[in-house]
Amino acid sequence: MATVITPKPASSTIVGSPINIPQKKYKMVTENVNVYYGNFLAVKNISIKFPEKSVTALIGPSGCGKTTFLRCLNRMHDMTKSARVEGKVMIDDIDLYDKSIDPIYHRRKVGMVFQKPNPFPTMSIYDNVVAGVRLNGVRDKKILDEIVEDSLKMAYLWNEVKDDLKKPAIELSGGQQQRVCIARALAIQPEVLLMDEPASALDPIATQKIEETITELKNDYCIIIITHNMQQAVRVSDYTGFMYLGDLIEFRETRKLFTDPKNELTAKYVQGHFG
Amino acid sequence: MFRSNVKNRLLVDKIMMGVVFACVITAITPLLWILGTLFYGGAEALSWEFLTQEPGAVGGGIPPAIGPAIQGTLIIIGLSSILGIPIGVMSGIYLAEFGGSWFSKQIRFFTDVFMEFPSIVLGVVAFLAIVLILGHFSVWAGAFALSLIMFPIIARATEEALKMVPWSIREAGTALGLRKWIVTLRIVIPAAKNGIITGILLSVSRVGGETAPLIMTILGSSQFFGGLDSPMDALPLRIWRFSLQPYDEARLAGWGAALVLVITILAIHIGVRYWFIHRRKSMGMSPRFSKVGV
Amino acid sequence: MTRLIDPSLDKLSRLMSQMGDMAMECVSLAVDSYLEGKGTGGRVRELSTEITTKYFEVEDLTFDMLLKYQPVADDFRLIRSSTEISYAFSRFGRYAYDITQVRHLFGDISECKNDSLFEAAKKVKHMIRDAVLSFAELDVRKAVKIQEDEAFIDRMYKERLPKLIESKNTKCALAEALLLRYLERIGDHAVFMSDAINYIVTGKHRPTQEQISSHISKN
Repeated sequence: MATVITPKPASSTIVGSPINIPQKKYKMVTENVNVYYGNFLAVKNISIKFPEKSVTALIGPSGCGKTTFLRCLNRMHDMTKSARVEGKVMIDDIDLYDKSIDPIYHRRKVGMVFQKPNPFPTMSIYDNVVAGVRLNGVRDKKILDEIVEDSLKMAYLWNEVKDDLKKPAIELSGGQQQRVCIARALAIQPEVLLMDEPASALDPIATQKIEETITELKNDYCIIIITHNMQQAVRVSDYTGFMYLGDLIEFRETRKLFTDPKNELTAKYVQGHFG
Repeated sequence: MFRSNVKNRLLVDKIMMGVVFACVITAITPLLWILGTLFYGGAEALSWEFLTQEPGAVGGGIPPAIGPAIQGTLIIIGLSSILGIPIGVMSGIYLAEFGGSWFSKQIRFFTDVFMEFPSIVLGVVAFLAIVLILGHFSVWAGAFALSLIMFPIIARATEEALKMVPWSIREAGTALGLRKWIVTLRIVIPAAKNGIITGILLSVSRVGGETAPLIMTILGSSQFFGGLDSPMDALPLRIWRFSLQPYDEARLAGWGAALVLVITILAIHIGVRYWFIHRRKSMGMSPRFSKVGV
Repeated sequence: MTRLIDPSLDKLSRLMSQMGDMAMECVSLAVDSYLEGKGTGGRVRELSTEITTKYFEVEDLTFDMLLKYQPVADDFRLIRSSTEISYAFSRFGRYAYDITQVRHLFGDISECKNDSLFEAAKKVKHMIRDAVLSFAELDVRKAVKIQEDEAFIDRMYKERLPKLIESKNTKCALAEALLLRYLERIGDHAVFMSDAINYIVTGKHRPTQEQISSHISKN
């Protein structure tokens, strides 16, 4: 089921899973994931294997289902009444959608960072970062202090805010707020990190910092990132998946997908002919 | 063509400003006049005895005191709040967070209708439900009636305040693996705090001045608070009683009582607001004006 | 839908096709001048200089496109290969000029002609034409022919050189050695060019083992 060669017309769905990297384990595997909004099938039968300690980018034009698919990976669709998810999403061989497991417990294994920075408005930086931990019952101040420092260091924000952790988080700039959100997501010690266009609301320098952060984090986490910015995908990711109208059109190593895409539709999209 | 009527548009602009300003003055003037009259008419009656003694016998030249009335107003507001606030806030939370079902639509409709009920009707309800059953007028009945008035105001204000909290905050909380009630209680409600407080203050102001329900429930009295099971005095009742008496001292006392009522409500407002604004400033929730770093 | 990068790509393709035409003309003239004693040195030099100028233009243009547009996929491979191909064109011009200089330096060499030289010269002219057409049409099938021609020239080069040592006519031997050398280099660059064209079309780099080892042994 490895790579496919000849360019085919746009309607065909082609998936190339990176089976040819035998050394890497897969952290997250999706099998035949379909998502319905009412009667509308928004995500069509997607099966992807995400390797551990890597960054996978999902690209595609607006409305192609990337965000919908990403939200399956931590069961965010439970919040939406009209959404129905079919298929399996497995972390280390545990299916998140299995009826017998507690979804909230397993949801903590998957952290999420959103497009627009959304720190809790009434909380300080410290409180924000620890929110996921403290509100789950951990009270010990020493442990919390440690978590705050570790998480902010991982998010490359520690040095900038360490002197004023009680400051309300919403008083920070956009880029700093986003890094607080990243620290907050990391504080619950997830195994997979989902990022939905994390830098799209930020200025170029903040974007650069976020990208640097992601590049560092990939040494420890499996990261899945949605981006509209082709060059960002090239800079930051190891694997890239191209989605169109709910289908996964192509999934390969980033460098190969961007220098020599096998599917004609992929080639058209990455070169800016539409989207 | 675009430039030539700039002068006209500026003139229209000025005229509209003038009209709007005039409207504002027209609206405020009666209000200021009332406040002025209150001060002018009532200041004379104020004295320590006036504020703390029982009314005593009518006649005699000095304005009857309103001690019990002040005490009664504070008690009835407090008791109604204890009854009305928790239920109102809980309902508001239910409507905002768990709304969407047929049931909550009915609740919302019911609440809206309830808000428009004439308060005298609610007084009659309380009369029938409590006074007649127990056989006597009581503070319970009054608190019940007033809480019925407070409940829809608080419920709606809470619901609106919670709806104003951006959806992304709830998403962030959920994404952290927190259960829904924790997200609501520890994250969303603190963010909606100001709106909820405003709703509560509005309802307190409203019931502070309600007279009709009190007539049928706590009746009024000339003594200080004598237990939750007996009638009690309140400022609106006392003012009404004073206004019906032919004596000049009673009239003066009425003005004084009205002044005291307005000042009391004002004090509650300012006090609660100040407490929250002061707290807010120290938490630093003022608008961002410095963006340091990146 | 016209993208921002399209006008630059058009300009690139115009430059490259001009260079291709000039390279073909240049090498033809040079080879003919040698074999038939025509005085084409001036024209060849003109063409060679112009090709080099255009080569610098192409370099500037490709780097400019990389800076501005960060191209990917087909665009990227085209731009990347264009640098190699335009370099090959500039080399053709240069070697063509060198060939005309042989006659210029050595004087009359009309007695030095022989059949194998004609053969080699014809092959080189075909090779260049194939390479230029292959690029213009992005047709990789010609690559096979180009490789065969290059192998032929390589073989001839290796066969003839030792024999020249025993030649009685020093002038002709040297002239032939130089010519063979230049023809062989032109052949090499034609193959590099076809590899670059192959990369544009298929995305695969394909240096052959022989090329790698022949590169090393020459250096």
